[in-house]
Parts: sequence; structure tokens; C-alpha cells
Amino acid sequence: MKNVKRLVMRVAFVAVLLAIGALMLVIGRGHTVYFDNKTMEYGGKSCETPYKIVVYVKGEQVAKLYNGERGMTTHIGQNFGMALGITQEKGGEEKIVEITQKLPYNIDGVIINLPGYLAGLPEEAYLSEFVAAVVEEEAPEEPIEGDELMPDDGF
Amino acid sequence: MQENKSFGAKALEFIRNNIVPILFIIICAFCIPLSGFTPSYLLNEIVTRMGRNIFLILCLLIPIMAGMGLNFAMTLGAMAGEIALIFVSDWQIWGIPGVVLAMILQIPFSILLGLLCGSILNRAKGREMITSYIISFFMNGLYQLVVLFMMGSIIPIKHFSVKLPRGYGIRNTVSLLNMRQCLDNLLAVNIKGVKIPVLTFLIIGVLCLFIIWFRKTKLGQDMRAVGQDMEVARAAGINVEHTRLISIVISTVMAGFGMIIYLQNMGNIATYSSHSQIGMFCIAALLVGGASVDKASIGNVFLGVILFHTMFIVAPRAGAAITGDSMIGEYFRVFCSYGVITIALVMYETKKRRSQNRTAQELARAAAEETAKEAAK
Repeated sequence: MKNVKRLVMRVAFVAVLLAIGALMLVIGRGHTVYFDNKTMEYGGKSCETPYKIVVYVKGEQVAKLYNGERGMTTHIGQNFGMALGITQEKGGEEKIVEITQKLPYNIDGVIINLPGYLAGLPEEAYLSEFVAAVVEEEAPEEPIEGDELMPDDGF
Repeated sequence: MQENKSFGAKALEFIRNNIVPILFIIICAFCIPLSGFTPSYLLNEIVTRMGRNIFLILCLLIPIMAGMGLNFAMTLGAMAGEIALIFVSDWQIWGIPGVVLAMILQIPFSILLGLLCGSILNRAKGREMITSYIISFFMNGLYQLVVLFMMGSIIPIKHFSVKLPRGYGIRNTVSLLNMRQCLDNLLAVNIKGVKIPVLTFLIIGVLCLFIIWFRKTKLGQDMRAVGQDMEVARAAGINVEHTRLISIVISTVMAGFGMIIYLQNMGNIATYSSHSQIGMFCIAALLVGGASVDKASIGNVFLGVILFHTMFIVAPRAGAAITGDSMIGEYFRVFCSYGVITIALVMYETKKRRSQNRTAQELARAAAEETAKEAAK
């Protein structure tokens, strides 16, 4: 009886750890979010860029985008919230728009075309994956072999 | 006169028992003014290093309690922590969730490695330290095989920032920028330019409380009994081998946690070298705090970290001030690390032999008296 109780406790402990691990996998997924203030065309419809878009995330300004510019921020989790301060014309009044965007779990770098989003286009139109340009490395990186007498930095 | 003499003898005994911390206090007192660091800078550095290292050093206490000496195989736990962090980096889990996930993920690796190490150490009773030292070298080779050839080819690793451009193997440095100091910065307090990582210290506090509580449990008492005398413990019905195995497993798992705390503070993993010196420096820090091979306390850990790291911080600048070459200071601190371990081991062995000699003399005297009594009869 005592052994059964002990086994149940152990299984429960492992289950709790697995559940916490699974939760961390979901809530801890990091993304780099890029914002474009670029003209885009979709289904024959053209979305023009406003004069300026200021992006605020958690109350902090992370980008100020004029026509053709790109900004970025990092975000942990799938629910990304931001506020856009949109100025349609130079010297015009800034209009604040609150936005919540679900980020795809399997994409590291997400590009959001803001004029496309603001024009109400479908997600596949304004949301795309950022693919880093592959840079050919001159010398392949090889691990350092051998004993290290000197202490690691920080020790 | 008698009182004076006993006070002098007591002072001499105190100095003899605490020669290493006293030496380090003298070195630090000599080097601090030469280094020219401001007190706030020095304090900031020491507090940062305390948060970074104390957890790792605390993991050494339990094997000492079980009479297994200084656990050089804590490196195994450090490797498990690194492997967990490589996976977490590959899956792009950032911040506190990344740290928590790495901590959970390293547990099975650490338990496996701890079981392996513990069962080998059970076959090498009395030579645990040298055996654990060699195990750490052996496991380093295995770790390199896994990380260099199996990750990316057999074990799925996808992210370009983690994997080598050739398609398999892990890069020399894995960036932990997205979880850098996330534990230290959460709840951090800044007092006159000194950043105190409150959450990290809270975690360390919890571990200290765990160790104090653990000593009072049945298992803790068993470990102390095994540490004092294995044969007596066995006669008292304690499963000596099992108790020693558990102590190594606990130490390895805690070393894994400690390594994750250490690396999140650093902000990157030196994949092939982060763990290689960690055991040596943690053991040196513990010995600097006045611990010995068979006795160590939480107080020794704190004192050791403060003294050892103060020396580490000030030595290069002091070396540069004295000789004009900062490398002298670098070599000096490495020399001190190895030197202090040597001194502690020599002192331990001398003490043990002296104690054995004293016991042998007492036994011989008792036997002689017995023979004399019988002859008189």
C-alpha cells in the first residue's frame, strides 16, 4: 500500500513537471516581429502607405516608420498586442489604433505589412515569414579543441 | 599564564584550521587598493558573481555530507544543463519560460548521469575524488561526441543560430541573448549603483533552506552516518550504496540547475568549454571559504564565493599595477585556484594521518599498560 502511494506520488510529480514543461513550450515561444510600412497589392487592390506609423508595444515606442521603412521588436508568446500611431499626411493628426495579432507558432520571424493590415486584407496577404539571407561563410566554424588553462570569462 | 597559553594555543589552532580563508583575506586586502576599483564597482561585481555561482557551489555540500569528498563530477550536471539549454535555444523558447523549461529538461539527463557516476563511485570507495575527476573527463568526451556529431544528424536540431553551417554539430557559442539575466533582472533592486538580483538570491535561499531541512530528514541523517563511518552505518541497517548513490544524483541535478542559472547570467554558452573548468573553480571557491574534504557548510560557500571572486576581480588589475602586465594577474588567479585545492588536499591528508597516528599511539599505550598490569599480577 505504501509502495503504491509512493508510486502514485512520483507519477503525479512527473506529470506536473511535464505539464509545466508543455506550458512553457507554448507561452515561451519567442518571435521577432517586423513591421513594414510599404505599399502592397493584393487581388488587384493597392494599399497605400500613410505618411508615418509609430509602433508602441507595452506602452513603449519600438519603431517610427515612414514610407518604405521596416521596424522590428521581439515578443514572447503567440498573442502580440501593439498600438499604432498613424499619421496620414505630414502635419496631420495622429490616430491611435490598438491591434492584437496571433503569431504562428512555427515561424521565428514574422513580417506584418501594416498598410495591408489596416486595409483589412486577409492574414495570408499581410503576414509573411522573414527569411534571413544566407551568407556564405569563408572559413567553416570548427569547435575549439584542447585544454583551456585560462578560466572562462566571468569566472 | 595558563589561560594565556591556552588562548595562544586556541589562536594557533584557529589559524591552522582557517589558513586558506586567512591567506585569501590577506591577498584581497593587498590587491584591492592596488586594483584601483571603486567600492561600488567591486560590490556590484561580487554581488553579480554571488548570484551566478552560489547555486553551483551549494551542490557540492551533499556529497561531502555523505563522505564522498569533493564531487568533481558535478561537471556532469553542468553538461546536462548545457544540453537542455541547447534544445531550448533550438526551439526558440525565450525568457523565464526558457529557463524553467531548461531546468525541467535537464532533470532526466542529470539523473541518468548521476546514477552512472554514483554507481561507479560505489565501486571506488575511498578514491571518490580522483574517480569523479576522471569520470568528468570521460563524460566530456562523450558530451563532445553527442554535441559535435549526433546533434543535427541523429538528434534533430534545426535552428541556424545553433547548428553549424556544415549541417550537423553545435556552434562554438550558442547565444542566450533572449534569456540573458532574465532571472537576475526580475525583481532586481538597485541600491546606490549596486544591482541586487533578488529572485536569484531567493532561489539560492530556498536551496539553502532545503539543505538545512534535508540534513534533518531520515535520508540526511543516513548520509551523515555513512559519511562518518560506512561500516557502522551498514551495521545500523543503512543501505550505504543506495544512500551514496542518492547523494550524487541530488548533487548532479542541483549542478544542472546551477549551470542554467550561471549561463542565463552570462548570456551565452561556450558549447565545448563552459563546463570544463566549472567543477575546479567551484571546488576552489568552497575550499577558500574554509571547507575541507570531509566538512563543509553553507557559510563556507558564501565566504568562499566572496573571497575567491574578489581575488578573481582584482587580481588582473593588481597584477598589471605591480608588473605592468595584466596576464600575470590572470595566471595568478589560475595558480591560486589550483594551489588552494592542493593545499586543502594536503592539509586533509596530514590531518588524517596525524589523527591515525594519535589513535595508534593511544592503542599502543593502552596495550602496553595492559601488558604491564598482567606482568605485575
